[in-house]
Amino acid sequence: MKLQTRRILDRSFSGLGFFSIFLLTASLIIVLGPIFVRGIGAFIFKGTLEFRRLNFEQLNRGDKASIDAEIEKARPYRQQAFKMLAEFEKQVEDEEIPNSHQYVQDLREVKSMLRELLGPAPGESEPVMMRDRYGRTRWDRAKETLRSILYMEKWDYSDTGSMGKKVLVPRVEEYRGTSFEVFFPFLEENLENMMRPRLTFYWRFLTDASFDSHLFGGIGAEVLGTVYLVLGTMLFAVPMGVIAAVYLAEFSNETGKIVSLLRTFISTLAGVPSIVFGLFGLAFFINTMKVSGSKSVLAGSLTLALLVLPTIIRAAEEAVRAVPRTYKEAALSLGAGKLRTVLTVILPVAMPGILTGIVISMGRAAGETAPIIFTAAVSVGRPLTLLQTLDQPTPALPWNIYNLVTEHEAVEQIRHVQFGMVFTLVLLVLLLNLAAIILRARISKKLRG
Amino acid sequence: MENQIKKSILISKGTSRLKRLVNFTIESSLFLVTSVSLVAVIFIVLFIARDALPFFKLRGISEFFTSIRWYPTGSPAEFGTLAIIFGSMMVTFLSTVMAVPVAIFSAVSLSDILPFSVRQVVKPIIEIIAAIPSVAYGFFALVIFAPLLQQSGGHLLGIVVWMVGLPVSLLFSYMIGGGLAGKVFKAPSKVTRTLIFLILEGLIVFGLYRLYSVLGKVTISSGTNALNVSVILAVMALPTIVSVSEDSLQAVGRDLREGSYALGATRAETLVKVVIPAARSGIVAAVILGVMRAIGETMVVWMASGNAAQIPEPWYNVFQPIRTLTATIAGDMGEADHVTGSARFHVLFAMALFLLVISFLSNLASEWFVMRSKKKWGV
Repeated sequence: MKLQTRRILDRSFSGLGFFSIFLLTASLIIVLGPIFVRGIGAFIFKGTLEFRRLNFEQLNRGDKASIDAEIEKARPYRQQAFKMLAEFEKQVEDEEIPNSHQYVQDLREVKSMLRELLGPAPGESEPVMMRDRYGRTRWDRAKETLRSILYMEKWDYSDTGSMGKKVLVPRVEEYRGTSFEVFFPFLEENLENMMRPRLTFYWRFLTDASFDSHLFGGIGAEVLGTVYLVLGTMLFAVPMGVIAAVYLAEFSNETGKIVSLLRTFISTLAGVPSIVFGLFGLAFFINTMKVSGSKSVLAGSLTLALLVLPTIIRAAEEAVRAVPRTYKEAALSLGAGKLRTVLTVILPVAMPGILTGIVISMGRAAGETAPIIFTAAVSVGRPLTLLQTLDQPTPALPWNIYNLVTEHEAVEQIRHVQFGMVFTLVLLVLLLNLAAIILRARISKKLRG
Repeated sequence: MENQIKKSILISKGTSRLKRLVNFTIESSLFLVTSVSLVAVIFIVLFIARDALPFFKLRGISEFFTSIRWYPTGSPAEFGTLAIIFGSMMVTFLSTVMAVPVAIFSAVSLSDILPFSVRQVVKPIIEIIAAIPSVAYGFFALVIFAPLLQQSGGHLLGIVVWMVGLPVSLLFSYMIGGGLAGKVFKAPSKVTRTLIFLILEGLIVFGLYRLYSVLGKVTISSGTNALNVSVILAVMALPTIVSVSEDSLQAVGRDLREGSYALGATRAETLVKVVIPAARSGIVAAVILGVMRAIGETMVVWMASGNAAQIPEPWYNVFQPIRTLTATIAGDMGEADHVTGSARFHVLFAMALFLLVISFLSNLASEWFVMRSKKKWGV
């Protein structure tokens, strides 16, 4: 081959290498980008008057005087809108206008959407369901609801070759020539006066309980459940993992059959699919050992502990092995026994490395879903107290993400909550990993320096 | 030396019997804790098998592996798992095909091509890809990727075709064109070579364009399908494959590389002909680990595969929804849990047992390959 060709081949090989790295980075950005951008939207958004009203009435947050003042300011516009609707409804009922029956159905729809947007009409008695008690709490949702009041979705089947096309038809066309015609432009122009959107920083999303199956409120119960699960997992996994690592690195006979068998089993345990851990947790911890009557945080923690055990063992063993030999010999020569050497010299020196492994497996335990489906997680639940974790299941971030996306009654309406949950979970895991990366950098600096 | 220390200090005559007893107790209790992993694996097998065997007793073995009719709630109920096994295999195979080239090239770049400073940035990125919880990937697949695929899937595929096809075709026509010119003309001038190159490239670009316009018309009726899941699984398998194969590429050592350079080989030639073959067993082990990650993954396939227990029509149609073993276990357990003891409950354990057997076998295989490469390089 000519030199020129070889050079070009060499270059293109490197090019493919760069391209792969680019793909790798791009896929991370593509996955995390939308989750971050839209996830932040759960914390920082334009909150409407309804949001502040809810916060005041349900959680006693905010200043009564200023909220009342705001409600007073918004009242005339809201009243006007409901009045227009009511007047026209009366006209239709009394059949004052021609073909009045054709409006009945649509009018009912408009009315329910207006209620969704603004909450109950002023002076109306308080509805039972929480979701009917408040209008749209977020300005983006409010605008969306406004859009579905202003426009009707229709399907255009004129092109028979393809599937029907969605077209938006202004609803006002239906009411041309009636007194109700003015309602739509009025609503569009005065939405801001009715809703009074204001930039809100809702950091309590993390700690607030949810109201009415996540239509309002935060994700406090889920966050707490995840924290319980992670801490419970570590409670079991860390002692076992560190002891196993110390045994493997310091006490065992390196070349022995038993040790190599142990190692094989540790890596086998690491390869067991996570869903199988879930089944095992159900069959062993709950059905056989009966650690709790049914699902509980305890059973979930035990299951997760087995799952992260190999990770902790490996990281800790590596850290223990990295302790310079001279340290051990110095300790032994001072007359310390083996156990004392391990406890007073080796473990403290290896601690940063062990911590790295612990922190990474905390992230793993926080994010695993499959093992807790059958052992610990429920869709709806209150935040637990510490004692309840022994026999009660809990909502947890990963499970509730699944649940809200696939099984919730109004999936589209709570997108911001879903994104907020995913964002919280990913951020939690990333922060833990960041801590691990920093720890590791410090260790390598120490070893080098 | 360690042994000497042991003898001289710990088991010297001065050590009392009591102390020896204490030491023995400590050591054996440490051993006991260490064997938790061993016990756990044995218990997992035992307990999964205990609940799986009643299924085979109730329904026999042949239906499970040969029938594609999965109607666990029908009357009479049918438990043919073949279509579900096929679904698992399909997404695993597809994701492996997508992940392996990217992963190996990334590993090679990390170990040999990229400068040290870039490497320091890329490694955390890979760690982060590995750390993102699977439910977040599943969320992305279902909420963001699936609608995108449904709306403009054809165009997306077309863009991928261009992205892969254009550079490859340029290289290809340069190589082939050069060879062709040398065969037809004795001493081809620069002009003829360029001409031949241009003609070849033109033909290929035309072909790519046709392919692109055909793909542009493809409509994907459901975004939750085998392709969606495979792409996401490929991304998830990447970090495992990259980091394990990078380790084995590193283990090859400088001397082989330097020997190859000394013989006048370029970097690409060194990598392809020396380093990668030398690191082969490690790379195979890495791929097996990646495959295991894809087979065992639950949340992504549960959320975004469409969960239809069917063999696609035709069987290679990746735009159709499928169902996998893991997703079936996760999805059906909620209902089957109330009927503990029935075939419907035990069939899920039978699936888990099947998964477990596959993962054990792959794990043993990858261990064996790692061992082989370790022996080879004496690490």
